[in-house]
Amino acid sequence: MQSLAKFTYASTHYRPREGMIAFILHRISGLAVLLFLSIHILDTSLVYFYPSGYEDFMDAYRSPFFMLAEIALMAGVVYHGLNGFRIALFDLVFPAAWTIDRERFSVRLTIFLAFLLWLPAGIIMGGNFIGYTFLGW
Amino acid sequence: MTAQTAAPVPARRSWLTVAWVLMRLSAILLVPLVWVHVVIQDLLIGVHHIDLDYVAMRWASIGWRIYDAGLLCFAFAHGVNGLRQVLEDYIHGRRTRRVIRVLLFGFWLFITMLGAAAVIGGVRS
Repeated sequence: MQSLAKFTYASTHYRPREGMIAFILHRISGLAVLLFLSIHILDTSLVYFYPSGYEDFMDAYRSPFFMLAEIALMAGVVYHGLNGFRIALFDLVFPAAWTIDRERFSVRLTIFLAFLLWLPAGIIMGGNFIGYTFLGW
Repeated sequence: MTAQTAAPVPARRSWLTVAWVLMRLSAILLVPLVWVHVVIQDLLIGVHHIDLDYVAMRWASIGWRIYDAGLLCFAFAHGVNGLRQVLEDYIHGRRTRRVIRVLLFGFWLFITMLGAAAVIGGVRS
């Protein structure tokens, strides 16, 4: 647990460069996606074990809180996927590409592409959020 | 005289090495698998149109059942192993790590069994 304290201290007292930013974002998005995935497998399993409970879950997912969380979840899924693909590509195919310059450039590119891919999804889901929450769709 | 370089020592392949490679291979597979899933369910259909009838209609096709079984196998195992990696970055004790691995394996098995039961059993009417 001492190392967690060290990690927290380093993350807040040291100005991270691209590599560490990518690492922290990958970790947070991964944990967040796993949290939802665990709940999501449980809610889906209700279609077999307790079908009316599934409908209750879907009602909860249509609440404003979950609709906003869904937009954040999408950002996590897009970033974690792209960054994971970057890591897999470097590790498995181009290990010689692990240089500081390429690391920094590839991280910037990954974050930029993740934002670009997330944006249309965010607009669609943001529109749904406004429509269902305020306009009575 | 030329400097002598040591011959490379072949690394021993433990299950951790296998897990390391599998994380990357499953990552490459999961990018299209998960992205197609979220584009269809979250963007094209949307949570307001997902109900028991929709799930029943989707799972009427064996192809989508296999697709969802693939998601269940790869995404959840990737996630739980990722959680193990995160925890083991901060927890170094041998015994504590063993306890964590057993607990995580149990967690993975339990949730995967529930999901598998649903994918195989389908919507119960």
